[in-house]
Amino acid sequence: MFLERTGKSSSCWAVLRMAAFLILATASLAAQGSSLYTKWINYTPANGFPKGEVYCVTVDGDRVWAGTRDGLVLLENGSVKKVFTTKDGLAGHAVMSVAVDKQTGDVWIATFGGLSRYSGGQFKNYTNLTSGLANDLVYGVAVQGKYVWVATTAGVNRLDTYTGTWSIFNESNAPFEEPWTYDISVTADRIYFAVWGSGVLSYDPEHNSWKPYSDPDGEMELVLYRNQGLIHNVVSSVSYNPGTKTFWASTYFGLSSYDGRNWHNYLTKDSGIVSNFVNAVRSRGNEVWACTQKGLSELNTSTNTWTTYQPDAKTGRGKILVTHPDGRTERIGSSTTLAHNYILNIAFQGDDLWVATAQGLSHGILQPHKEQ
Amino acid sequence: MAIGREAWNGQFGMGRSPDAIGDMEETKCATATRVRICAAAAVVLIALAGLLALPAWSQSTPPADAAGKAPEPMRYGNMPPSAAPFGRYIKPYHEWYISPDTLAYDGGARSEADGDPAKLKTINIGFLGPLDKDNYDSPYGIAMLHGSQMAIDEANARGGYHGKPFALMVHDDLPLWGASSMAISDMVFNDHAWAMLGSVDSSSTHIELRATLKLELPIMDTATNDPTVTQTRIPWLMHNFPDDRQQGYALADYIFNQLKLKRIGILQVNNRYGRTGKSIFFDTARRTGHQPLVEVWYAPDSTDFSQQLGTLKASGIDGLVIWGDAVQAGLILKQMRAMGMRQPVFGSSRICYPEVLSIAGPAAEGLVTISPLDPTRSDPQWQQFRRSYLARFHAEPDAYASYAYDGMNILLAAIAQAGLNRGRIMDALRQHEMKEYSGVSGKVFFDDTLNDVAPVTMMQIRGGQFVYWPEQRTDWGGKPVTYAR
Repeated sequence: MFLERTGKSSSCWAVLRMAAFLILATASLAAQGSSLYTKWINYTPANGFPKGEVYCVTVDGDRVWAGTRDGLVLLENGSVKKVFTTKDGLAGHAVMSVAVDKQTGDVWIATFGGLSRYSGGQFKNYTNLTSGLANDLVYGVAVQGKYVWVATTAGVNRLDTYTGTWSIFNESNAPFEEPWTYDISVTADRIYFAVWGSGVLSYDPEHNSWKPYSDPDGEMELVLYRNQGLIHNVVSSVSYNPGTKTFWASTYFGLSSYDGRNWHNYLTKDSGIVSNFVNAVRSRGNEVWACTQKGLSELNTSTNTWTTYQPDAKTGRGKILVTHPDGRTERIGSSTTLAHNYILNIAFQGDDLWVATAQGLSHGILQPHKEQ
Repeated sequence: MAIGREAWNGQFGMGRSPDAIGDMEETKCATATRVRICAAAAVVLIALAGLLALPAWSQSTPPADAAGKAPEPMRYGNMPPSAAPFGRYIKPYHEWYISPDTLAYDGGARSEADGDPAKLKTINIGFLGPLDKDNYDSPYGIAMLHGSQMAIDEANARGGYHGKPFALMVHDDLPLWGASSMAISDMVFNDHAWAMLGSVDSSSTHIELRATLKLELPIMDTATNDPTVTQTRIPWLMHNFPDDRQQGYALADYIFNQLKLKRIGILQVNNRYGRTGKSIFFDTARRTGHQPLVEVWYAPDSTDFSQQLGTLKASGIDGLVIWGDAVQAGLILKQMRAMGMRQPVFGSSRICYPEVLSIAGPAAEGLVTISPLDPTRSDPQWQQFRRSYLARFHAEPDAYASYAYDGMNILLAAIAQAGLNRGRIMDALRQHEMKEYSGVSGKVFFDDTLNDVAPVTMMQIRGGQFVYWPEQRTDWGGKPVTYAR
């Protein structure tokens, strides 16, 4: 591991920077003493993993499920246990999302070909023609008690697994501008949906009510004010953090958060996020992980520090860029790194990360980081 | 924490990402002295870059014109200044679609193994279009298929790709919403297509677009009017048809600035084409102080428009804009003239078909519409295509056939240049950004979103004839059409 710190100072800037430094000293020290993901184990065709994109990853205790361009991969004890494809009964080739029902152990799989349930070693498939599924292009799935929520290109489905009853929510009975739904985040009393062209929708099942969150300027080609509200209506994913009572929304036009009172938006020009094209976001505790097309960016909301992980195409090693609140940056190297810089999804396993990339699955292991 | 977040304001040079700053900072500061010098210089450079970056980021500069004189910077979508959202009140915090990296792609498609033509019988290209005669949009889809097939056949006559013929894998875009959503998946996994062309319906095109962000299949979109298909930053789609943005700007300028009309009504077909189509015209009218007086809808299969026309007549409009299709527009014209309504009528590009004249007869006199192309052009490229098309399909080529022919030729050239690799085919398509392309449909110009923003053609029925002329907007200050870019 190597570290190169950079400094910039002039007489006037030095004073300003010193003031900022003193204010943020505690936070900065905490960051310097923190750990970083400098150890990565990658799963690629070289160790039995399917080639091509990994669209999603889900942790199920010690097991890890990964959805790929051509099948569903089960990893156990750090190795590929099984690759399920359409030949095994999976509804479609490309697997977009996986959710595990903790009560039953059933695995629900969103594919471009319908919804699959893997239970007792068997697949049962739900398609537009054989069930109440709104559309066979399924982007997301989530489990909330007895309900399975499904994000499709023609709206949202809710399957009552006790009765087998399907419900559909689209522009006819909910505030969808467009029905193209991408992602679902489930909480105890709310379900959040990322909707392409409709922003974020939340559903309160107790009161059967919907609340839309959309781009207040209403224009695709601009962001009117920095923290105006949702940054753009083309939302790719949503993640509710119960600890901070904040939902995060990723778009191809930056990142947004809403804590119930204030919105905060993040672009490359005003934050440490590495790209405005954000495929997915996940948040827990004081961490926000943005899966971008140029790397994996983490915002620590306690220290307001951004850390971006990227592979270096020239050396094959890892590049870690830490951006402090005062704009100061540090570049840190790592001998191992992500399988690819194009990040599609992330899941947590304790302190470990599982990262879906355009060319393989990456397992990130937290390592102590000492400033050199 | 809020203070910390707000501390981002002003910390970075405008228009510079932290990564860029890091790259700048990382340079050659070997000694402490050099560190200070470099850092001070970096701060000054960043500050200067910040001052300069704002105009550089907010405007793209097209190439110099033929006379070597650099034209004014281009606005997004060839937008009239008066039509800019919030333009009279505030400069937006950030603007999209005007930067060369709008469609930047960092995925892994380029490093996928190339297809080996020796192992392939055909080089497959997917096609999605409305073809069933019961489909409302099928006349456009069938023309699009004919244009595509002509381009494929001509390429095969020239030897195909490394001796292997191109093959069109045809999928019908069904009228039931979402029913064709699996087409692109089928093209990737079953057809093993290298790219695709389609569709007409903007919902279907959006579904393809969303799917191809995951499946990474280049799309040539030659028929959708919806301007939002190129507003997603997804680099896999190229669009060469004049969209509703260009049509709306042209009509608004002609009606309000050239004819000086003030009291406009809108009559639109109640489907996605009508709903999304008129929105740019409506917004431009509103922003320029000409809020339309009334807006009424009709069902796609309507034949009696007396109720809608009664509302429009009672509103005292001095002009009517129809956003719909030729058959209904013909009936509307006939019925409104019979009701004594003499207001001038304007229409979207789908009205510019012979049916409007054959149905309305003399009532169509004076109608002005947008036309995606000028079929009276005499250039050899158009005339040759017209003759070949007429001989093969026994019909005049329309805009959908022409743009499909051009789009397919762009796609085939990209494959010839890039090889059988979808990522590099996408790269080859992106080489058209901020460049002009001359095809049988005329000259188009692709912006940073790979959308055609070339000026459109206007048409008026005069003496029972379709008369065409190039759009000339007043915000161009009397300069030639080419200057609009």
